[in-house]
Amino acid sequence: MAESGWPVAFSALQPFLDWALATEAERTQKRQTSEMVDIQAFYTAMLSHLEDILVYLNQFPLERMPPHAQQLMDMTLSLAEIAPAVELFGQPREDDTFDPFRFVPQHQ
Amino acid sequence: MKDRQPTGAGGHAAPDQSNDRWNDKYPHLGTAPIPIEPYISREYFALERERIFRKVWLNVGRIEHIPNPGDYIVVALPVCQTSVVVVRGKDGQLHAFHNMCSHRGNKIVWDQGGSCRNFTCKFHGWSYGLDGGLRFVPDEERFYDLKKDRLGLTPVAVDTWAGFIFIHLDPNPTETLRAYLAEVVPGLEGYPFSELSATRFCWRTEIKANWKIAQDAFQEGYHLPVRHKASAADAFTSGTNPHCHFLSLDLYERHRRTSSYGNLNYQPTPVAGMAYQFGSSVVVDRDIALDNLPAGVNPTRRSDWSIDTFWIFPNFSIFPSNGTYLTHHFWPITEDRTIWETHTYFPNAENAGQKFSQEYSKVLLRDILMEDGTTLEHIQDMLASGAKTHMPLQHQEICVRHAYRVVEDYVGFYAGR
Ligand code: FES
Ligand SMILES: [Fe+2]
Repeated sequence: MAESGWPVAFSALQPFLDWALATEAERTQKRQTSEMVDIQAFYTAMLSHLEDILVYLNQFPLERMPPHAQQLMDMTLSLAEIAPAVELFGQPREDDTFDPFRFVPQHQ
Repeated sequence: MKDRQPTGAGGHAAPDQSNDRWNDKYPHLGTAPIPIEPYISREYFALERERIFRKVWLNVGRIEHIPNPGDYIVVALPVCQTSVVVVRGKDGQLHAFHNMCSHRGNKIVWDQGGSCRNFTCKFHGWSYGLDGGLRFVPDEERFYDLKKDRLGLTPVAVDTWAGFIFIHLDPNPTETLRAYLAEVVPGLEGYPFSELSATRFCWRTEIKANWKIAQDAFQEGYHLPVRHKASAADAFTSGTNPHCHFLSLDLYERHRRTSSYGNLNYQPTPVAGMAYQFGSSVVVDRDIALDNLPAGVNPTRRSDWSIDTFWIFPNFSIFPSNGTYLTHHFWPITEDRTIWETHTYFPNAENAGQKFSQEYSKVLLRDILMEDGTTLEHIQDMLASGAKTHMPLQHQEICVRHAYRVVEDYVGFYAGR
């Protein structure tokens, strides 16, 4: 493991730490204001490790994760956020859909 | 973790479309186009306010949202020109009141929810107990003959069914909640609502559309292959059910229910597949334990089922699925403005994989709803033009026809015209 506790196996993901965002509103903001090439790069990097990440994270209690694990967790949530953009729409937001910033998450 | 192999094909090679000319089952609804006026008329809206929203039970949340004494929620009811507080009392019972001070009318609670020991007015400091009784009046002796026991908060009826909290603006409704819901109770009884309500996500938005336009868009699948082509069509339609016909439906006096097919041959995307491997997902579930669902959900017991809907008059709906459910509320503001609120509920996530899985399900749902949102406002714009007076409906849109009929039966706008 690296000094931060970040597992060596996932060191390729460290350049994507700006996707470690704690709330849906932040993750939506990031998706909707990112270029598709950056979203795609994050998607590709995360997907190749996703199964291993989730198996790794499953050993920690959800409410008391060490900081590096919480970052990885939040990055998997960002992957969930951008997955439809990559897999279904080919763009951050479909043409002619509702303004995502008007659909406001409650009780965050 | 689960094996991703399809297991539930259950001998249903193709949807049964021999019996889905739904109008034939409900001839009293007729087949004529329905009028556009109810969606745009201010006069119609005023009648809905008086004859529907002030006269029926309205869902405002779940008991898990206010579990402890002093927990409260504030429900804005612009359609009834009021705001209502629902609070759990010291005795553990729910109480509901108009959110209005008995002194000079100030709104008592200004936030959307929380927990408190009493309600104190931010104008002159009158203070009320959790049961709504007036407890304290500053400088009380300077009032004339103040009857404190008659100056409590104005009550609103409140009751629960299956953990859902309903209010009725008449403090003594002629119809009990149980009687009001009698038509849908058999269908939903036994569904594990409390277990599945541990985690909730909610979005809220104000749209520029009539509440019925918004609601109608969620009670037919006819638009799914077109409007949701990119997001959901593959999971819910197939070569043998290209137009998303319903699997079954029942129309009642006021409420209604439907079942929808899923596509057993749907190939999940990589992330959807992983979400399914680590948790459950409404679009890729192949391991549905049909026997664990109450008999009224997916009553046909077909394995190529995806989700049911229960429409509780006037503005609340529950969509139970396997291991997750969602609800919609459409709260009218004016004839062309509506608060749209969607909740999606999951069991408690016990590990990272389940949390990821829930997040994916939630994001996909949200992105599907985004596709609906724009259409609603465009429809409202054009209905208001007056260019057309009626809209034709097909068999698969019978819920829209039924919804129109039930509203009109309450409102009586066309009676005697
Ligand atoms: S209006 Fe509430 S105390 Fe005066
Ligand atoms: Fe839709």
